[in-house]
Amino acid sequence: MKSFSKMVYPYVIWAMAMIVAPMLMLVLYAFTVKGNSVLTFQFTIDNFIRFFSDPVFPGVLWRSLKLAVITTVICIAVGYPSAYIIAKLKPNSQALMILLITLPTWINMLVRTYAWRGILGHLSMSGELKVYIGMLYNFLPFMILQIYTALSKIDPNLIVAAHDLGANNRETFRRVILPLSLPGVVSGITLVFLPAVSSFFIPKLLGGGQYVLIGNLIEDYFISTGDWNFGSAISLIMAIIILASMYFTRKLDRKVGEQEDD
Amino acid sequence: MKKLIEVKNVVKTFDNTVVLKGISLDIYENEFVTLLGPSGCGKTTLLRIIAGFLDATEGQVMMDGEDIAKIPAYKRDVNTVFQHYALFPHLDVYDNIAFGLKIKKQAKDIIDQKVMRMISLVGLEGFEHRDVTSMSGGQQQRVAIARALVNEPRVLLLDESLSALDKNLRKEMQLELKEIQREVGITFIFVTHDQEEALTMSDKIVIMRDGEIEQIGTPVQVYNEPINEYCARFIGDSNIIDGTMVRDRLVRFDDVDYECVDYGFDKDEAVDIMIRPEDIDIVPRNRGLLNGEVKSVLFKGVHYEVIAETASGTSKTVTMHITKNQDVSNEEAGEKISASSFYMDLEDVASLTDSEVIARANAQAWNKDDEFVSLTKVQYDVKPEVGTYPCSFTTDAGTTIRININVVQPQVIEDESNEEGIQAFDFYKTADEIKESVALDTDLIRWADAYAWNIEDNSRVEIWDVKYDFDDENITEGDYQVTFSTQGREIKIETTDRIEEGQKIGLKWSPEDIHVMRKMG
Repeated sequence: MKSFSKMVYPYVIWAMAMIVAPMLMLVLYAFTVKGNSVLTFQFTIDNFIRFFSDPVFPGVLWRSLKLAVITTVICIAVGYPSAYIIAKLKPNSQALMILLITLPTWINMLVRTYAWRGILGHLSMSGELKVYIGMLYNFLPFMILQIYTALSKIDPNLIVAAHDLGANNRETFRRVILPLSLPGVVSGITLVFLPAVSSFFIPKLLGGGQYVLIGNLIEDYFISTGDWNFGSAISLIMAIIILASMYFTRKLDRKVGEQEDD
Repeated sequence: MKKLIEVKNVVKTFDNTVVLKGISLDIYENEFVTLLGPSGCGKTTLLRIIAGFLDATEGQVMMDGEDIAKIPAYKRDVNTVFQHYALFPHLDVYDNIAFGLKIKKQAKDIIDQKVMRMISLVGLEGFEHRDVTSMSGGQQQRVAIARALVNEPRVLLLDESLSALDKNLRKEMQLELKEIQREVGITFIFVTHDQEEALTMSDKIVIMRDGEIEQIGTPVQVYNEPINEYCARFIGDSNIIDGTMVRDRLVRFDDVDYECVDYGFDKDEAVDIMIRPEDIDIVPRNRGLLNGEVKSVLFKGVHYEVIAETASGTSKTVTMHITKNQDVSNEEAGEKISASSFYMDLEDVASLTDSEVIARANAQAWNKDDEFVSLTKVQYDVKPEVGTYPCSFTTDAGTTIRININVVQPQVIEDESNEEGIQAFDFYKTADEIKESVALDTDLIRWADAYAWNIEDNSRVEIWDVKYDFDDENITEGDYQVTFSTQGREIKIETTDRIEEGQKIGLKWSPEDIHVMRKMG
């Protein structure tokens, strides 16, 4: 194994250059003021004060989190039963259903969203509803796949064993199937919530410009306004929220696993 | 004892395959019953029907005189220990065992009391909060038993529950299971294909075959008095010999009558005779009931397993002519050709083909580069009469070799007492072919076209032994004798005495050691 350990160096260098260095630069920009020459740093927390003192920005942040949470909850609510039904089908039908569900993901997400814009454009509904439809359509397959994988890994003998020990179908689901499929739900949440909270082109394309989210803000400050410092500060706030939510999801998973005792 | 479960004429079919063909079986309270049989005999299906995981296609399963077909698995007073335990991986030892009690919504302190009692019964004190997936097979097995027993079922079903354990642990668990059953005093139904497990633990053994019950009895009954060849072979080691019942208490095999204690058969009825290897004593030659020669001795630890031949098989001796190399070379074309003369059966002449002639003469031609050249012309004129006929093989380049085909009368020996026939022909070979052979016995059988069969039903009988009077490493031209024979009467004996291979011995047993069984239908 030792001889292989050297093979990790190219990856470490790549990660340093492409992930760690930009992150550090992001932090640097977030805590400095616009107009400075890069060599003379002037530290400030003005960017953050500006974000939280302005009534608009926290509102946008709240709206983004709400959108991501609601999207995730709907994905679980629709995805879990779908995955459960698929996992109960015959093996051949299972493969077909999984193929059908993953089929749309073969097309670029941007193209799919444009297609939805074409479809929903003629309908008179709120921009918010259109955004939700787009989000759900794009992220639901990830949730179904994760839960399906977890469900199909459950040994059918465990279900027989639960019946043998006196559990009816409802109790078997609550005490055996649900806890054993939770890891799938958690990784599904990670795969849906994280991209949903920072997505910017779905709200941009489907929300008709009225529906501004945190991702759109970041995009604006970097591309249109050119205020990289403030954009970096918003990005950093986002990153911290995402880290925190990942941490809590992990904790939740462990807690529910232990809490079967009631 | 009170009757607890009655299985009445249960039939089970899966997609037109009949797995159980009308099983009837009574199981009593506090009984350790083993369903024994090879895989596919339906024993697990029967267990699953009793557990409620499967429905019987026909027939009834009664518990306390009540049909339980309508009662779903989770309401039955029956718990199962699964083959691979099926422990819940997300729960620890304690919660696995407490699972059934929590479902029944028992009070927390009662659950705690019952679970801890089970944990000490199966000897897992201190492991309450261990992760089940990190436990050894034996520990998982104990958790599975505790998880089932804590529900205080009236019947515990065990589905090949010991098969995943290694041999020593399995023996230990056999004793422990029996101990637990005695202690909790409930009915155990155990499914296994391991006869030793069945003999060690059971009060009652049910031997199953192809979806039917062959025999039900105590371990001693099924061991000492198997009802047929199948049961005798399944339980323990045995010699099973075809014989006839001369009259009550007198049975005959290999033309000799032997006293026995069995009666109630028809006069001259064909029967199977069983003698257990451990019941046979080795005595000096001519002092026993029959004589034999020791063919092999295997050391088995507590005893030696001796195979003695007491009657020889059917045999046929042929002559092998070793000739000098008769390859013909064609310098012009750069080719070589070889073939040998052969003997053939008069009866086979009518169906002789070119390819068969080539195969029997082992004719082949090859060029300078050792590549095979095809034989395009095969000339022979064989008449359906005994005699010698010339035959030639030629390639496109004109390389030719001539051999003889000797047509002879069928060379058959039939042995009435063994009910066997054997046939083999003389043959020609070169010394090199003998030296190059990697499996000489098999090649000799093929070259001599040796074949043995059963006279009654024409089924093929294996050529068991090939004997020859030459040294295959240093063979020279000349004629040699090769003898092919079928297996004679071989009897297995277990003894603690040291016996040498080739030793001539006598065999002895008492009349009650012979067990006579009806032929299987």
